[in-house]
Amino acid sequence: MSTHIRILRQVLAKYSTPMTLKYPSGVDPNKKYSQIPEGLRGFIERDEEKCIGCRACYMVCSGRATKIIDTPEKRTVQVFHFRCTFCAHCQECCPEEAIKMTNRFELAVSDRNDPKVYANTDLKMLICKSCGTSYLPEKMQKRALERLSEKINPRVKETVIADYKKVEGYCPDCRRARGVMLDTHTKKHVWLEAT
Amino acid sequence: MGLIDRARVYSPWLYHLHCGGCNGCDIETLAALAPRFDVERFGILLVPSPRHADILVTTGCIPRQFIPMVKRVYEQVPDPKVVVAVGGCACGGSLFYEEDPDNYAILGSADLLIPVDVYVPGCAPKPEQIINGIVQGILKLAEKGSNRPTKTITK
Repeated sequence: MSTHIRILRQVLAKYSTPMTLKYPSGVDPNKKYSQIPEGLRGFIERDEEKCIGCRACYMVCSGRATKIIDTPEKRTVQVFHFRCTFCAHCQECCPEEAIKMTNRFELAVSDRNDPKVYANTDLKMLICKSCGTSYLPEKMQKRALERLSEKINPRVKETVIADYKKVEGYCPDCRRARGVMLDTHTKKHVWLEAT
Repeated sequence: MGLIDRARVYSPWLYHLHCGGCNGCDIETLAALAPRFDVERFGILLVPSPRHADILVTTGCIPRQFIPMVKRVYEQVPDPKVVVAVGGCACGGSLFYEEDPDNYAILGSADLLIPVDVYVPGCAPKPEQIINGIVQGILKLAEKGSNRPTKTITK
């Protein structure tokens, strides 16, 4: 019985104050959004310096909100928030931790092309020396080389890095065509280890 | 602005149309109408017939079988009217809709069929976000109702 009285007292204490949140016209800015939980997923922000344009967010996007728009000069990574389901898969999978979901949720707009609902990042593309097509973002190649030199087997490191320098600036197709000429077979280090 | 226009802006009536999707946005819309968030502070009333409504709130993507009903409901709402698309499906199609290849069952977002005035993205949007959208819709209603600047109407 005493428990019941305690619960009743708590309930009455809660309902003695007005329950309604005066949201758009709240006077106190701290109390205006008292209902934002800590893990609320809102607008997706991308760190332009960290993003390398690897397309990992595009591959996992469940609502197909992320788009990769490639032009000869640049690659644009775009999130269209109308299609976004705010599932945070892109945040989880980003290898550079460039994507962060903010608490901003007031995204109501009256125009489909409003820049408020887009998150764009432009990346400079590399152009092939031989055929002139763009093939990879500049940052991604740089980062890939860094990771390669970190994780590669130290015995073949020198060979692989030296080979990489030879074909730098060529697109994948042109590299394949010049494989014999430049002596850069992909499995060369395996053969070197065996002998 | 006449008396009727003025009254309309201060007490817009709302019709809630669920087209398709997962029902999450409907729950959030009803939460916005409930006392915790209380859009009835703005004089909004949920009406059971589109003939009485000023604001049409659509949630969910539009399945092909539902196209005639959406058109009919939109035509039944008297002028001036405002359409608020709530949720990712109504705004851009989200999970259920793909531009290529075309889906046999789902038409897609609401603006492919009827003119939408305010979009409220989110999956599902918070009740506060819906209130934000509906308030923007009321301002649009004021614009449509007369040529009087909206500044004098906002509080």
